[in-house]
Amino acid sequence: MRSRFIIAAVLLSSVAAAQPRSNEAPDSQKDQPFDRHSLSGIWWGHAARGTRNSLSATAPPMTQWAQQRHDAAKPGLGPRGQPLGNDPMMICDPMGYPRILFWNNYPYEIIPLPDRMIMFFDWFYTYRTIWTDGRQLPADPDPRWYGYSVGKWDGDVFVVQSNGFDDRTWLDADGHPHSDEMHLEERYQRADHNTIELSMTLTDPMAYTKPWVSEKFTFKLADGKTEMREDVCVPSVEAKYKETIREPAGGATVLKK
Amino acid sequence: MKRTLLKWLTVMALFAIASQAFAHHGSRVSYDLTRTVTLKGIVKEFVFVNPHVYITFEVKDVQGLVTEWATETDPPIMMASRFGWSRKYLKPGDEVTITVWPSKVGAPRGFLAKLVTSDGRVTDHSEQPQQ
Repeated sequence: MRSRFIIAAVLLSSVAAAQPRSNEAPDSQKDQPFDRHSLSGIWWGHAARGTRNSLSATAPPMTQWAQQRHDAAKPGLGPRGQPLGNDPMMICDPMGYPRILFWNNYPYEIIPLPDRMIMFFDWFYTYRTIWTDGRQLPADPDPRWYGYSVGKWDGDVFVVQSNGFDDRTWLDADGHPHSDEMHLEERYQRADHNTIELSMTLTDPMAYTKPWVSEKFTFKLADGKTEMREDVCVPSVEAKYKETIREPAGGATVLKK
Repeated sequence: MKRTLLKWLTVMALFAIASQAFAHHGSRVSYDLTRTVTLKGIVKEFVFVNPHVYITFEVKDVQGLVTEWATETDPPIMMASRFGWSRKYLKPGDEVTITVWPSKVGAPRGFLAKLVTSDGRVTDHSEQPQQ
């Protein structure tokens, strides 16, 4: 009797873990017909288990240049988290790419236009442009917080190449750095009506001794009720939060009694 | 054999449940996650903003001394989706009972574990947070 109970509990929890989140399209829509060359829609990101809001659980070996930057980074989250860090997010500096992708509690919207695709991010209320008009990446790009991107279909895979990344952004909450020579390749494939699968390869010899290949990320179609919100990071609001909460809680300031 | 299999299945199930709880990040590094403190107070400010919703509230002790406490929690999108919060969930003057994981340095600050309003609305956010 007891063993039957345990087996039932295990099966129930496994089923519960596999169910879509409440704001995702139901599983019943998964097998509906879909356009393999369409990534349009509002999507919720799911990182692979164990990635800890990064491309993968472990970064490739860093160069000395990158190690110094990593050591200087003081995250507010994760295993190196400390109460009073220097994560650029704490002053609402742009999140950058691909880090903006790792905030799975905020959706994003993919919008195709005739000559480009827009990826619009609820978090930070910002977007990146992926040019689909056949142009090449610039040879000497101006630095951009979200990079310069071009994309095209290779069979059923949408391949995006990006360069021109401003090196002030962190790759993840742990403060992994990148240089302005970083190159990112993304491969998107629509797996079914409700799912996009994405894998990334980051190449940055100035920072990492070999390419950083990501785990597979999964994006699930949002339900019909999900709308993009305006979740801006406002510097003045963040400054007030720092004064009221972060610094007193972390011991940087002592409140007057 | 059956007992060993059951043990492993139980471990896997617990892992699956724990992984779901750890699915979202948090900025709990400043707080003592081993204990909670429960306070009764009056809302001074309800700040429903990114990246952390926070509440300042006044707590009167038995001698009548008032301390201004503050508690923070998750972003608006998460509080809205999980607990039905909105910018109107609380207002200045509301009586609340708030349970927090307190600041490690002893400041009157905490991370929200539970909130109960005087009209009986309960927000239970007390699953063990992951940093």
